[in-house]
Amino acid sequence: MEPTKNFNTTPGMAGESFDDFKAPLFLAWQINSVCNLGCLHCCEDSGHHIPGEMTRDEIFNFLHQVREMNIPYVAISGGEPLLHPNFFEVVEFIRESGISLKVETNGEFIDDKVVDRFVDFDFRSVQISLDGATASTHEVLRLKGDYKKSYTAVKNLVKKGVTTEIVFVPTKFNIHEVGEAIDMAYDLGCYGFYTGKIMRIGRAALNWDKLNPMEEQYKTFFKTLDEKTKQYENKMKVYYYPYDVIEELKYRLEKPSASLLIVPNGNTKLIGPLPFICGNVKEQPLAKVWDRYKKAWHEPKVIEFTKRVIKDPSLLAESNKWQNVF
Amino acid sequence: MEFKKHVQVRKEKFGMVIFETLKEKVFVTNSTGADIVERLKEKKTPDTIITELALEYITEPSAIVDDVNCFIEKLIQHEVLTK
Repeated sequence: MEPTKNFNTTPGMAGESFDDFKAPLFLAWQINSVCNLGCLHCCEDSGHHIPGEMTRDEIFNFLHQVREMNIPYVAISGGEPLLHPNFFEVVEFIRESGISLKVETNGEFIDDKVVDRFVDFDFRSVQISLDGATASTHEVLRLKGDYKKSYTAVKNLVKKGVTTEIVFVPTKFNIHEVGEAIDMAYDLGCYGFYTGKIMRIGRAALNWDKLNPMEEQYKTFFKTLDEKTKQYENKMKVYYYPYDVIEELKYRLEKPSASLLIVPNGNTKLIGPLPFICGNVKEQPLAKVWDRYKKAWHEPKVIEFTKRVIKDPSLLAESNKWQNVF
Repeated sequence: MEFKKHVQVRKEKFGMVIFETLKEKVFVTNSTGADIVERLKEKKTPDTIITELALEYITEPSAIVDDVNCFIEKLIQHEVLTK
């Protein structure tokens, strides 16, 4: 008897191999596409409804399968998820099912009443986008955004004991403020601060030349992150993904994650930066979509296109022009 | 002894996957490890687990005590289990 024989750790969501898992370990679910903001760097080009968004019945049919398949962890994003008419009953169902839940939001709809409801839900975390340490920096990127509302949401959530994280996307407009933003996150009492290189997808791809920081700026950015990681060690999690989307694709081609990315109309993408759809959770059982996901990563057309993207990153602009793998 | 608040476990063909969702770290065990994890989920003590597994694996408790304790210690080190 050697229980420790195969006991090991694997970074991220990779597990042993994604093929070994009977179900996804993680669902990234974009519940809607509607958003009150028009962020220049949005990776989804969110703002308006898209055709065929899941109905309430379709959503709950899907969620029952998530529970039956014992999927341990779900992240809900959008659009702006709090604008979804069924948001609260959805999160209630997920939490009552014992599934860990992260909510990714711009924070602008988190008033005192919502904070109290969030306390009861006991989320894994609430992740709020704050793209600067000042209102002017945040709002130049987040068109129609209200820094004060997001900042206040973070403050009030932390005060009530909700695990709260800040997400910061570096661009030419705000990269210089990352150090101050991390200090601010710590002063606010956040659990974590998340960042990484901006992804060349969605609306960010359209605004790429305007947004993408220079290499020199990135060098300073990562140096600051190294320093802040040490400064806040054991006090606050400073997490940054050091690779860009191309490096991510190279890695995922070898080792796909045990996760699914579901967009508001039920389409299930292989990964954000690629246009491939392996199924639709409105039309197929979730278990079948998972099988198709596993098969899709072995499909020559997926492998070949991914290799083309790696050679020519401008193809990332096609990430939201969905193509069915099968 | 109990699993931390954000830890989820799921049985798999190969054994068990343990997912620390707050730190987003995944651990996998073989089927023997899964037998221990299941009992820890039921809040059984190490002594009870050793007794039960010795019966199940048709062996003496003394033959498995170190392995079980070492495995539990690893779970604690990886911060998925608390004493």
